[in-house]
Amino acid sequence: MSTAHKFMCGINESGRHKMSPVKTIDSKIIHPMDNLLRMERIPHIWCPSCGIGLAVTAFTAALEKAKIDLNKVAIVSGIGCTGRVAGYTKLDSFHTTHGRPIAFGTGIKIGNPEIKVVVFSGDGDLIAIGGNHFIHAARRNIDMLVVCVNNFIYAMTGGQVAPTTPLAAYATTSPYGCVEPPFNIPYLADSSGAVYVARWTTLHIRRLTNSIAEALNKRGFSVVEVISPCGMYYSRINKLGDGLDMMKFYHDNAEIRHGEDTKNLDIGFQTKIIVGKFVDRERPTYMDSYNKWLSEIKTEEKLRK
Amino acid sequence: MNPIITAFSKGIEKSGIKPSKVSVPSDIPFGSEVVNHLGVDFFHTIRGRAIPFGTGLKLGNPALKVVPFVGDLMTLGGNHFVHAGRRNMELLVICVNNFVYRKIGGQPTPSTPVTFSPYSTFEEPFNIPHLGNSCGAVYTARWTALHTDELANSIAEALNKQGLSVIEVISPGPNYYTKIEDIESNLINFYYENSVIKNGEDPKNARITPEEKIVVGKFTDKERPTFIDSYNAQLSKVLGDKFTPYGGKNG
Amino acid sequence: MKANPKDVNTGVYYIDGDVSSGYGALAAGCKFVGGYPITPSTEAFEAVCRRGPLVGAMFIQMEDELGSIASVVGASWAGVKSMTITSGPGFSLMMETIGFGAMLETPFVLLNIQRGGPSTGVPTKTGQADMMQSRWGSHGDYELIAISPDSPQEMFDYTIKAFNLAERYRCPVMIMSDECVGHMTEKVVIPLADEIEVEPRRFYDGPINEYLPFKPDEDLVPPMVKAGDGYKLYITGLIHDERGYSIKNEEYKSIYTKRLVDKIRLNKDKIIELKEEETDDAEVVIVSYGISSRVAVRGIEKAREKGIKVGSLRLVTVWPFPDEKIAELAKTIKAFVVPEINYGQIAFEVERCSHGEANVILVPHGGAGVHNPDDICDAIEYAAKEKKRIEGVIEYKTKLEKLVFEEGYKLHE
Repeated sequence: MSTAHKFMCGINESGRHKMSPVKTIDSKIIHPMDNLLRMERIPHIWCPSCGIGLAVTAFTAALEKAKIDLNKVAIVSGIGCTGRVAGYTKLDSFHTTHGRPIAFGTGIKIGNPEIKVVVFSGDGDLIAIGGNHFIHAARRNIDMLVVCVNNFIYAMTGGQVAPTTPLAAYATTSPYGCVEPPFNIPYLADSSGAVYVARWTTLHIRRLTNSIAEALNKRGFSVVEVISPCGMYYSRINKLGDGLDMMKFYHDNAEIRHGEDTKNLDIGFQTKIIVGKFVDRERPTYMDSYNKWLSEIKTEEKLRK
Repeated sequence: MNPIITAFSKGIEKSGIKPSKVSVPSDIPFGSEVVNHLGVDFFHTIRGRAIPFGTGLKLGNPALKVVPFVGDLMTLGGNHFVHAGRRNMELLVICVNNFVYRKIGGQPTPSTPVTFSPYSTFEEPFNIPHLGNSCGAVYTARWTALHTDELANSIAEALNKQGLSVIEVISPGPNYYTKIEDIESNLINFYYENSVIKNGEDPKNARITPEEKIVVGKFTDKERPTFIDSYNAQLSKVLGDKFTPYGGKNG
Repeated sequence: MKANPKDVNTGVYYIDGDVSSGYGALAAGCKFVGGYPITPSTEAFEAVCRRGPLVGAMFIQMEDELGSIASVVGASWAGVKSMTITSGPGFSLMMETIGFGAMLETPFVLLNIQRGGPSTGVPTKTGQADMMQSRWGSHGDYELIAISPDSPQEMFDYTIKAFNLAERYRCPVMIMSDECVGHMTEKVVIPLADEIEVEPRRFYDGPINEYLPFKPDEDLVPPMVKAGDGYKLYITGLIHDERGYSIKNEEYKSIYTKRLVDKIRLNKDKIIELKEEETDDAEVVIVSYGISSRVAVRGIEKAREKGIKVGSLRLVTVWPFPDEKIAELAKTIKAFVVPEINYGQIAFEVERCSHGEANVILVPHGGAGVHNPDDICDAIEYAAKEKKRIEGVIEYKTKLEKLVFEEGYKLHE
């Protein structure tokens, strides 16, 4: 094997594999992600230049890395391009109505607290129509992981403005430029009480994988925002090139600043994007508070009698 | 509610704005005498939707001064609140907060044996000024119902402010487990006496917890382009003469 | 009153139904559109976003459908004509506020581009299964108007008419279009402003202190005012008396609700618009609306070639339902044939109104497509041949149904 070939296969100088061992089924080598994807539905519907596939790759790799029981993971998606992720992952998948994956996930969690709930949806679904569920779940600190793929637009319906579309950017419902300032998702999550907040772009695939793996093992409401290109609408309408041009842009303009105050993480039109892990703290989760309160009540009842 | 209405009336007077130009969408049913006394246009909207109703009123006629008076700000109306903050929609949101929060440890409840909820709640409440401020509101304040003068001043200031203002008013409300008069007169005084005025405090530090006094005051007062300003600026830039700034013909 | 020439983009266009409805709204004088993107109605909203600022209309994409409809009702009370644009899932979300608007007697227009349902359904394909929901969707007793255009030209014309009806009767008006008409691109002629009739809002013009917001005129519709004019309005969704103050007694509730309902029912003959063709000596009459009526044209042609006397009754106004017309026709014909893209909604209304004097045959379709005209022709043939009086709605088994249910509801790859 040539050195280059060895490097690509993850074999370092001492001849050992750097990456995970090769998977086999009946001695046939399969792709590492095959057992986590519904292969009968691949090829998927996402456009060329879309970053959602990268987010899914990071997610499946993180699932393995986090070493959690995959039978106890439920993935809930809403409506939109990112909302189709639940349909491609081989877990207990739920493709719910627009804006309600977090509410749905809250129900799953309270119904069976053993299940690790992952909400995988887009910025429009989670922050626009789902905004109320987002802030309430953060306030209650429901134990779930929210992966929010932010492509700054409503892609599935044809490129309308989203609450994350930067000021002055073009979209079909802001044909003269967006007039509303966007939400800063990490700041919103942080001020509502989330315990783990991170942002990466689809370029930072390894760091994203590590973040998701960390968040999967974190108890409480965790949010990982994934900045993703949308070559069909956002970057085309705004003449920013295609997916690869957007990735180059992320490469040149993303700055890693762990622990940065979430107030400073605004994203403007083609400005610097600050990425990193911003918040990692502890707070009693919803079920913790509930159980504590329940035991207190029971004690009081006994005292009253 | 009465001291709040007095403060509201005083506030409108102080601000110099004609009461006939003030529209109040609310999910709290005001009495008709109250509306007559205030001299405003009152809309009893459905629960949680006072803010988007107010958005429609404001955008339909930018000359109006819209004051959503909400009881339910954060449950049904949570989404509308955070987005109105982001857009900096020109509304003054007065939130009458009669929450039931964690057991007030050591709080002498009124003379009846049952506390004012059968079991206290275990959820962390929202810190409304902090949430409003982080979503982009330009003016945030909190007062209790008995701080009538300070509340009237806040309302007057906020009415003349351009953008989303939030004034949270801590006030008791009726409940089903004790007699109303007992609760109201004791609680309204309790809130007033257990509050501490800290003007200019960072709303992040103004969480309401049963162990500490309630932090009240005018917290933030900043400037940001409003929705209509931003709309006019962006469209004038792109369309030039073909566009007449909105609000010009009505305002 | 004639339309304002600034609002009307006169000309000959080749556009789709959604866009022409957007242009129609602006031509009618609509000055506020609160919307939310939902396939297949987004093109209408986008058309308003592009043209609105040029004619002084305001648009806002709210955070969800609940916000958009609430803002539309609010804008109406600020004195401007307002509209929202949605489809199935959004329509369901808006139900509470539609009832609220009906209770407050607020004029507004709601454009519903129906799609395959239920729930997320098939967003990109057609359906006509929201017809009953448009009438009964919100809780409580109320009546409103629903119109069903069948071409992009009609989308333009009837959007203007919808605004006029809303202003005249102070009620919500639904434009129940569907994805097929919405996404169909055809020639649309937008006439000169002088040729467009626009109904202005009927504002009260008497002394302020004598104004009673809900005191009706002879036609049961009260004149309206707007916020900010010194009327000290008291508007509530609770049952209210003429001053607007809430009131709970039984008598009053009956009087008020009856007026809300009679406002439309007693003015039915002025509201309902139908397109009748060759029903005088017909044996079979097709009752259809929306895109199904266009497909039915071909089916009727084929049936006529076979010598069957077929008439056509096209429901341009679906609600209020033309009870009397159906009852009248039922006396002279053998059967009604109702093609619709659902499993029976308007067909049941037709059956109810025919009082057992004619058969009613439903030609259903599951959605995500339109009927095959052959099926409609076959159903007409069957209707003409059937001599027995059969009770209830007869569901005609179309070729598609026979194909799909050959093996009994099994779904294939």
